[in-house]
Amino acid sequence: MLRALPSAVGASLIAILLVGCKANPPGKVETAVMFWAKHKVMVHNKAQKNPLPDNAAGVAEGKEAFSHYCIACHGLDGQNTGVPFADRMSPPVPSLAGEDVQSYTDGQLKRIIDDGIGPSGMPGSKNILSEDEIWSIVLYLRHLPPSGSLGEPEMYSH
Amino acid sequence: MPHSKLSSMRIAVKMKSILPVVFVSMLFASQLFVAAASAESTPRQIEVTAKRFVFTPGEITLHKGEPVVLVLRSLDVAHGLRFKELGVDVKVGKGGTAEVTFTPDKIGTFVGHCSVFCGSGHGEMTLTLHVVE
Repeated sequence: MLRALPSAVGASLIAILLVGCKANPPGKVETAVMFWAKHKVMVHNKAQKNPLPDNAAGVAEGKEAFSHYCIACHGLDGQNTGVPFADRMSPPVPSLAGEDVQSYTDGQLKRIIDDGIGPSGMPGSKNILSEDEIWSIVLYLRHLPPSGSLGEPEMYSH
Repeated sequence: MPHSKLSSMRIAVKMKSILPVVFVSMLFASQLFVAAASAESTPRQIEVTAKRFVFTPGEITLHKGEPVVLVLRSLDVAHGLRFKELGVDVKVGKGGTAEVTFTPDKIGTFVGHCSVFCGSGHGEMTLTLHVVE
């Protein structure tokens, strides 16, 4: 009996730790605090302006650059259309048309695309994409098409 | 024989001996003209190879106003080369060759980027163009 006690205690501790690791959706307060922290403190580069002119050609270039691989998680429309795992990520992949994303400045969006967001699983794109391509994506994010209007990425249609 | 007739004959003889020289000279001159015109109308050709994630050569110097043919050859996947400020964009398929003719109209240093997504180093794949007088 006594010999089995350490094993039982160890198993119980592991079980408690695993339960403690369970991620629940954040509450309203946590969401509000994180929104403020991300926009005001954690994501820098607030003042930098997009050097690209805001016109149809620039948006088209952004759409093209976005299609290289951003669409795998964000969909063609930046609103997760057709992305099968978007709701299963923790945190879920946000709609890029939503307030949480659109309320960042252009400079902050550039920084997020450059460096990624570590805990969320979003990778940085600096040097994978050129500076112009990243700025053009920022421009595209400001002119996203209606949700679902572009269909789903081809990779999920096969 | 009258003196004037003798002079005319001498001139005629001289003309006969000079004519071939003049003809040959004109022939050479026309050849030179054609060669010069040909040099002006045939743009300089520059070959650039593209391979993940490098252009070779990495730097090129051109003269403002001098037309050039840029021949882009891919050694692996599809690539492109774009100089936004100069309005130049050429794309090449996997293992293929493509060319673009242009005349740089601005002096300065311009950085061209790969314009076809080619992988993890795509954003760093550049070619520097120096345009001088």
